[in-house]
Amino acid sequence: MKIFKSIKWRLQLWYGLILVLVLSGFGFTAYELEKNRQFRRLNDELHQRVVVLSAALRRQSPRGPNAVRPLSGQPPRHQNREEPPPEELLDGPFPARNSPGQMPRPPFHFSLPPEAAHLFEATDPNGYYYSIRSRDGREIAESIDLPGLLKLPRRGDAQTADPSPKPLSPPDTSPPRVQVSGNLREICELLPSGEEIRVGCSAAPELRELRRTALSLGAVGGLILLVGLAVGGWLVSRSLRPLSGISAAAVRIAAGDLSQRIPLAGTESELGQLATVLNATFARLERAFAQQRQFAADAAHELRTPVAVILTQTQTSLAREREAASYRQTVEACQRAAQRMRTLIESLLALARFDAGQEVLKRLRFDLAKTVGDCAGLVQPLADERGVKISVEVESLEIAGDPERLAQVVTNLLTNAIQYNRTEGEVRVSLKLENGVAVLAVADTGQGIAAQDLPRVFGRFYRADSSRTGAGNTGLGLAITKAIVEAHGGTIEVASAEAAGTTFTVQLPATV
Amino acid sequence: MRILIVEDEPDLLAGLAQALREEGYAVDTADNGEDGLFNAEGTDYDAIVLDVMLPGLDGWEVLKRLRKTKKTPVLMLTARDQARDRVKGLDTGADDYVVKPFDLSELFARLRALIRRSANQTTSLLEIGNVSIDTAARNVFLKRKPVEITAREYALVAFLALHRGEVVTRTQLYEHLFDENDSSLSNLLDVHVSNIRKKLGAEFIVTRRGHGYCIE
Repeated sequence: MKIFKSIKWRLQLWYGLILVLVLSGFGFTAYELEKNRQFRRLNDELHQRVVVLSAALRRQSPRGPNAVRPLSGQPPRHQNREEPPPEELLDGPFPARNSPGQMPRPPFHFSLPPEAAHLFEATDPNGYYYSIRSRDGREIAESIDLPGLLKLPRRGDAQTADPSPKPLSPPDTSPPRVQVSGNLREICELLPSGEEIRVGCSAAPELRELRRTALSLGAVGGLILLVGLAVGGWLVSRSLRPLSGISAAAVRIAAGDLSQRIPLAGTESELGQLATVLNATFARLERAFAQQRQFAADAAHELRTPVAVILTQTQTSLAREREAASYRQTVEACQRAAQRMRTLIESLLALARFDAGQEVLKRLRFDLAKTVGDCAGLVQPLADERGVKISVEVESLEIAGDPERLAQVVTNLLTNAIQYNRTEGEVRVSLKLENGVAVLAVADTGQGIAAQDLPRVFGRFYRADSSRTGAGNTGLGLAITKAIVEAHGGTIEVASAEAAGTTFTVQLPATV
Repeated sequence: MRILIVEDEPDLLAGLAQALREEGYAVDTADNGEDGLFNAEGTDYDAIVLDVMLPGLDGWEVLKRLRKTKKTPVLMLTARDQARDRVKGLDTGADDYVVKPFDLSELFARLRALIRRSANQTTSLLEIGNVSIDTAARNVFLKRKPVEITAREYALVAFLALHRGEVVTRTQLYEHLFDENDSSLSNLLDVHVSNIRKKLGAEFIVTRRGHGYCIE
């Protein structure tokens, strides 16, 4: 089985694909939201430290507290504090790393205020650090654990990239500039007084956290995908289950068992309707096959009896020497059997031609009334033999058709009417024009046909008494009659009253 | 042996009747179901050849009604050779089946087998003392030498041999050896018995006075 050609697996595939897309969309969004939340928090932390540092710087600046304007949003909580004078600070402990060889001396000493010390503790997993530089790039202060690897753009780089720097514009309106390099994040804040404060930290704990979040999102997503695929697979199999029933039934039918049907239990879906339609089709197919088989069996059966006659007659005759008269009888019996077979075979072939639409009908204009009269004359001896009276009541009527075939119709109907009549009965034939239609009616005064047999009258090998009643009666006469009438675009109907008689009515399009 | 043929095709009926008469059977015929059933119920035939498709009562119906009163072996003639038809026939009480068109030799063999089985014989060769009867070839041997015997005499010998040990009445013999068209005189039977005794030995057929004849 080609797995990707199966509807079930294709549905599964698409379904799984959509599920993967939806899940990854959700997962990605959730991950991004979490990442933004974490980084925003980190940025807030950094910004908070910048604010604290800038406040401290402003207080410690040699140009006085007013030289460094407070940043916007900066809580002015440190301003009311007792601040040591900057002069003292110059002599105080200098926690920041100093690189005297390279950098010019700082303009003043800056010490981390105690209330900010906890913000830059070395034990903090984020490892916050800071760096403060003067307007001319000299280092004022740095945390001890400033990562040496950091090679971020120095002060004013972002501004110099800007073609029109606006030093007068208030920097507090601009959002803190965040720079990222590897695990490190930094905010660089340029104070109006020219000092540059950089606060950075390592985002490693957040990234670890994010990796964990991504992993658990992936795990949950995978789980949902698996469950979804399983449930989807179950649903698909369940809804497609009638298909396997349909195909199994079709396979069995194709193998020759026409009695097979698709089980309909619990299939109210579209497939159930399909199964119902298919079952109806199968039933029609079976009926058609049964009819065909019955027809073939009947035809074979009809041919068997004359063959049995010939075999019996000839084998008996050949068993010993006989007189000429005896041989003559045998030959006559054989001839009768052969004639019967010929009639039967001709009828079968005619029917087969009508069935296949291969019967070529002549299209001549002729007077149907004359044909009816001729036929009545033809069957008169048979009627006389049975004491049946034929009364003909016809009006001249021209139609277009095959005169010989239509004569066959009339003769068949007349012969039937005579054969199934009571002795001293009557056959009435009438032909008239009704609304542009030629109506031929043949009525007898026989036993009539039982109502349940009426639909089978035109069937092949139907016989009123379920047995052969003479060499001329093949049981195909009415079937051929019907085929001829229908080939002329007409209809034939039968009406019968038991013990009163039967009337066959033929309607043919007339050409007036 | 007397056989009834029920068949509606006149040429087939005539041919069969002639062939069976020439085989030494007494043959009655009927060309429709009602007459066939009437004959079959009124006479003890040795076998009945019954066509399935008949006007009036069909073969199945005749068989079904006949089976209520008689166990006469019935061989069905049918043009339908489908298994369900055969099964239906055998289940309805038919003893055997021949599908049209058939060979006469096969029909004869099946009839002989039917008659033999209904008399509880299993082989076609009956041996009574030093007389043996080949029912297949319809020959009689005395001490392994063939005996010239007429068809009617053969029928008498065969019937008595098939009912060996039973006393067969003169009426039974008449019924089984002559058909309804025979107008034989009653002493014709005595003539046949006397001829057989001349050919096969006086002790071959025993006369039970007031009862009938018997082969012991």
